[in-house]
Amino acid sequence: MSAPGHSPSWRIGIDVGGTFNDFVAVQNGTGKRFSYKEPSVPADPSLAVERGIAGLLAEASLAPGDIELVMHGTTLALNTILQLRGARLAMVVSRGNGDVLEIARSRMPSAFDFTARRERPLIPRHLVFELGARTRADGAVHARPEADELAVLAERIRAAKVDAVAVMLVNSYRHPALEREVTQALRTLLPDTRFTESAAIWPEIREYERGLLAALNAYVQPLMESYYERLETRMRGLGLHAPIFVTTNNGGTVSLASARERPIDTVLSGPAAGVVAALRVAPPALRDRLLTLDMGGTSTDMAVVIGGEPEYTNLAQIGAFPIILPVVAVTAIGAGGGSQVWLDAQGVLKIGPESVGSDPGPICYGRGGTHVAITDCYLAAGIIDPDAFLGGRMKLARAPAVDALAALGQRLGLAGDDVAQQAAAAALRVATAKMAVELSKLLARRGLDQRDFTLVCFGGAGATHATMLAEEAGLNTVLIPLAPGTFCALGASAADIRRDFARSIRAMLTPRGEGFEAVADAIADMKRDALAWIAEEAGAGAKLAFRLVADMRFGDQAYELEIAVPEASREAIDGAGLLALYHAEHERLYGFADRDGHVRVTTVRLSIAALNEHVVPEPPLPPRPVPVPGRRAVHHDGHWLDAALYRRADLPAGFVVTGPAVIEQFDTTIWVRPGWRGVVEQDGNLVLRRTG
Amino acid sequence: MTTLDSMDLEILRHKTTAAAEEMGLTLIRAARTIYVKEVADFAVAIGGLDGKAFAYPEALGVSAFVDLDLTTCLNAVGELEEGDVILSNSPYTNGGLSTHLPDLQLIKPYFHAGRIVAYGWTMAHTSDIGGGVPSSISPRFSELYQEGLQIPPVKLLARGAMDRSVLAIYLANCRSPETNLGDIKAMLAALDAGGKRIADIIAAHGVERLVAYQTRIAEYAAEKAAAIFARIPKGTHEFWDYLDHDFVSNVPVRFRCALTVDDTGLHLDFAGTDPQLLSAFNLPTAGLRSPYLTLRLLHMITSMDPSAPLNHGLLTGVSTTAPKGSIVNPEYPAACGVRHATAMRLIDLLSGVLHTADPGLVPAAGGGTVLPVVLADLDPVTGARRSMVIQSIVCGGGGRQGSDGVDGRESGLSNIRNSPIERTEDEAAVLVEHYGLRPDSGGPGRWRGGTGLVYTIRMLKEDCAVLARGLERFVFTPWGSAGGRSAPPCRVVLNIGTPQERDINRVDMLELRKGETITFMTPGGGGFGDPFDRSEDEVVHDVLRGLVTVEGARRDYGVVTTQDGEVDGEATARLRAARPARSMSGFDLGPVRNAWESVFDDASVRRINAALEALPATSRSRRKKAVYEQVIPSLSDDKPDLAAVLADPAGPRARLDAVLNDLEHGAPTR
Repeated sequence: MSAPGHSPSWRIGIDVGGTFNDFVAVQNGTGKRFSYKEPSVPADPSLAVERGIAGLLAEASLAPGDIELVMHGTTLALNTILQLRGARLAMVVSRGNGDVLEIARSRMPSAFDFTARRERPLIPRHLVFELGARTRADGAVHARPEADELAVLAERIRAAKVDAVAVMLVNSYRHPALEREVTQALRTLLPDTRFTESAAIWPEIREYERGLLAALNAYVQPLMESYYERLETRMRGLGLHAPIFVTTNNGGTVSLASARERPIDTVLSGPAAGVVAALRVAPPALRDRLLTLDMGGTSTDMAVVIGGEPEYTNLAQIGAFPIILPVVAVTAIGAGGGSQVWLDAQGVLKIGPESVGSDPGPICYGRGGTHVAITDCYLAAGIIDPDAFLGGRMKLARAPAVDALAALGQRLGLAGDDVAQQAAAAALRVATAKMAVELSKLLARRGLDQRDFTLVCFGGAGATHATMLAEEAGLNTVLIPLAPGTFCALGASAADIRRDFARSIRAMLTPRGEGFEAVADAIADMKRDALAWIAEEAGAGAKLAFRLVADMRFGDQAYELEIAVPEASREAIDGAGLLALYHAEHERLYGFADRDGHVRVTTVRLSIAALNEHVVPEPPLPPRPVPVPGRRAVHHDGHWLDAALYRRADLPAGFVVTGPAVIEQFDTTIWVRPGWRGVVEQDGNLVLRRTG
Repeated sequence: MTTLDSMDLEILRHKTTAAAEEMGLTLIRAARTIYVKEVADFAVAIGGLDGKAFAYPEALGVSAFVDLDLTTCLNAVGELEEGDVILSNSPYTNGGLSTHLPDLQLIKPYFHAGRIVAYGWTMAHTSDIGGGVPSSISPRFSELYQEGLQIPPVKLLARGAMDRSVLAIYLANCRSPETNLGDIKAMLAALDAGGKRIADIIAAHGVERLVAYQTRIAEYAAEKAAAIFARIPKGTHEFWDYLDHDFVSNVPVRFRCALTVDDTGLHLDFAGTDPQLLSAFNLPTAGLRSPYLTLRLLHMITSMDPSAPLNHGLLTGVSTTAPKGSIVNPEYPAACGVRHATAMRLIDLLSGVLHTADPGLVPAAGGGTVLPVVLADLDPVTGARRSMVIQSIVCGGGGRQGSDGVDGRESGLSNIRNSPIERTEDEAAVLVEHYGLRPDSGGPGRWRGGTGLVYTIRMLKEDCAVLARGLERFVFTPWGSAGGRSAPPCRVVLNIGTPQERDINRVDMLELRKGETITFMTPGGGGFGDPFDRSEDEVVHDVLRGLVTVEGARRDYGVVTTQDGEVDGEATARLRAARPARSMSGFDLGPVRNAWESVFDDASVRRINAALEALPATSRSRRKKAVYEQVIPSLSDDKPDLAAVLADPAGPRARLDAVLNDLEHGAPTR
């Protein structure tokens, strides 16, 4: 235990999840860390955060005054959307567009299932109000509402008794004036109602997606505001006066003020923080190609890191709702510790897609769960110790899990003393195969080879499943961070201040690069906004980084290529330069370039970041004696193996673990299969490599 | 013989399905054509030694070809060596693997230790394959020769080496050779990706297991399918349905199917279906169990048991008969570019057959048409005439036992994204004035049919034309079932809401002036169950949401309410007690179809079609037209009003008897 610092030199990272809240304290300059877990309090999430911070400060022997910054990630807004329990909303749209949320993008969830239904629109049809307010694509105002029309609309909104109103007029992405004018007029008429303008949230072409973003922002805003208010009060109650930052979808973080104004930027921040943490802890030699595996009780997320940068997507979804904001690309795959193990009518062994969740959870939780889940299989196979789960804070019930697996095994036609273990092995093999093919498809989409990647495993079950998955998927290297259970909280504490901007424009570049003015204007416009924003967030003197991307396509094509402008040429980019980048990318992808064609630039995107320069590697592990392993019987490949058993906290730097081995730590259990060899790095990370 | 246990079966299912999906992902990544990129009109699969698919993607590309058959192609090229790739596109020579020429097919045998262990297959709708119009498809074409280059199964690659001559001929026949070459390369990359994964699977599980799996997974699928098919009552169930016309005349097109369910399985007999057409709606099936003939049965299984593995085993118990020279088994060289419309109606046809057996099995008819709205204008840069698809308008889904139909969406055949208003307006000089759900367009029912859509565009400049070919269900409307009502017909209206407003009942190419508007109103789905049994609350909810009008609520549901949902309980009770005297069970086929069949009943049409079979296939359609126009002369008018003409069926009926007599005795039509 270290002596507390006397200047405020510590940061706290928080990840609020459905079952647990995770906390990490990191010291600026030294990288020294402490972590802590606290069960969630669904009725008042801020209470769990208060308790957790208090617990963390006690654990690390820190005073509130030692804390410089609190960096907070939460799934609260996400769950509000998934469970459809946000604000009561109305929406104002242009005449003729009242069904925008009903029609959406016209897709059904499945082409194979005629019982599939479309999503329920976020706002019911009778609360979407049409208004004679419309701009044409060229900016000409086609219809402008009279004062009396606005008054009638205001009355209807008042009568609808809504918490907030989203305003989305057709073509406002490029010509926002009318949308702003209408919104201002309505604000004057309804001073107590909150309004969100679509172009202010995200001025990108596509009325459904843009309108939906505005609506979702309004949908989660009241709840998030009251949460942040309670949180601030509770933190001040603890004597903690450090500023609060909130993690964002793009792996960054923003001030509480920005988060209040634009909660939509924070809805998918949880998984993004894990990717940020992976980038921070991975050794430079491995950082170029990482696959992150965040495997928890109810869900498993994967992400790809190439070239030391997380991959972004603007095709993310929350349930059926598309999110066109740039989001760290994370893919949910269909197996977690809670995935159900079952037999279908033909007696074939199936994993998921149903999950037992955390309540009642797997049979071994002893909370009344009756469905076998993956966690029960780890237990039956001897990988996890029923008395050591969560450092022994939660006792697991082994016997009922083994009995249920034995019954399943008999139905599968298995026999013998170890029928339960055989059934568990079969289930784990099927689950692993299912995860491995998802991983493989993730890379096939990008044309990459998995053998070059390192699997970074975290979450409660990531380290348990790591070598099983890596072996099946053909990966040769696995990285298990020091504290996998609080990894996303660590990511939160390490985030840069970051925000994205976009402008959809109408620009057609001639083969000689003429027609760049609209692009230049958009870049200048965004840069102005971005610099003004970052000055507020980070103050002067912050080290800034930019990322400029243009969506481009040939005039006669319907799909775009994303052209990233290298930072070195960003300030000097012109039409000819941009075209050269486009043609090079087209040639790389399709093997030829049509340099005589006209090329459209449809959307320009700028990301700005103030870099978090306080992040340093974890200090080296203290010297420790060579540990003496215990023994653990683990069922593997039809036999009971005598595996070495270690405690993670006992392992010194440079120590080599050879599979079969089990390494227990407070927040997870690491299973090292035979044929794998792990080395404890100086900073405590465990790097496992395949030997057999 | 290697036996597979339950675990192996499930693991191999995940791996082989993923292998097929990786092929699809590789194709998407590398392809250039808009049909692959935006519309997802491509397919991939891995076939077994029997030439049938044992692995198929779950959510990538076209879902229709699970039951594909590579046998004809494989037989056509003879012995295969490692590195060979078979190319083909002509449905009449590749066993109906293609259904029109733009669908390029590649097959690659996957070898292990010197013998074939599986086949990779991929199909992509390429941008152009030559022929009479850009992109090669027009409903007006009557012969395959007009539709572009025909490629019988040939080796594009032999032992890994591209046949430059074949490639040169192919590229010389496309309007966009660079794009097409890119697509071929993408397809080859997809085949290689599949081959690599099959090799991985063999390395991990052994070749015997992979081969045994091909049979075992089909048996497993068949078991799952049998459990679903057991819900269809035994016996013979018949139904028929129509396309409004064949595009080159006003004569309707009829499809007929009899489903016989017995201890041996399911048999679909399409006898009584109209002869092949002189337009491009024909569906070549090579006399085989073509995927399009059985698609509704496949969807029934996958809807009722989502865990069913996708492979040909799902249709093990199903056989088909399609009369030679009919629309569903045309003889060479009948044109087939727009077989999509036929495939769509076959879904309704099979739904009707299943409703006849048991109305609880599948939804009532969906809106039954997909409309690509194409705008032709002058390119502002080059001044040349150009055309662009500005929207794909779909319909509503049919109601079914326990659920309303889906409003404004349908995924029966294609499940593609629409074009946002802002995108359309950014690229074309039009104003999209209305894009919404169409009130009262869902067939009334205890379970309401989903509504169709309304789409109104205003021209912002001169010299524009709108093409909307293939729009359907103006005449023969989507049917309701189990007492549910049929949906109102499709409408296209010029200058709606102005004194110049007029209905157009078919659109080919319509020149429009600056400032004019055109409105498309697609049909909703048919209703299910008696609409007077729909609860007041549900009807009021629909009124509040604007999906049913106040008049519609009163007329169709017997619910008297205001726009704000205030119900007049007494008036409602009165109306509902005095239910209209109409059939409250079985089908509601719609007013025009009922009138039509008062002349052209099933027995007469079967006689006509049986008699036409005596003629050469290529002359049947001409004679059919003559027969129908003799019975109803106004069919040869520009815009016949069938409802009016058929108000008194006695005259046509008498003429039909005479014409039939001539036809059956070999006399020429008078």
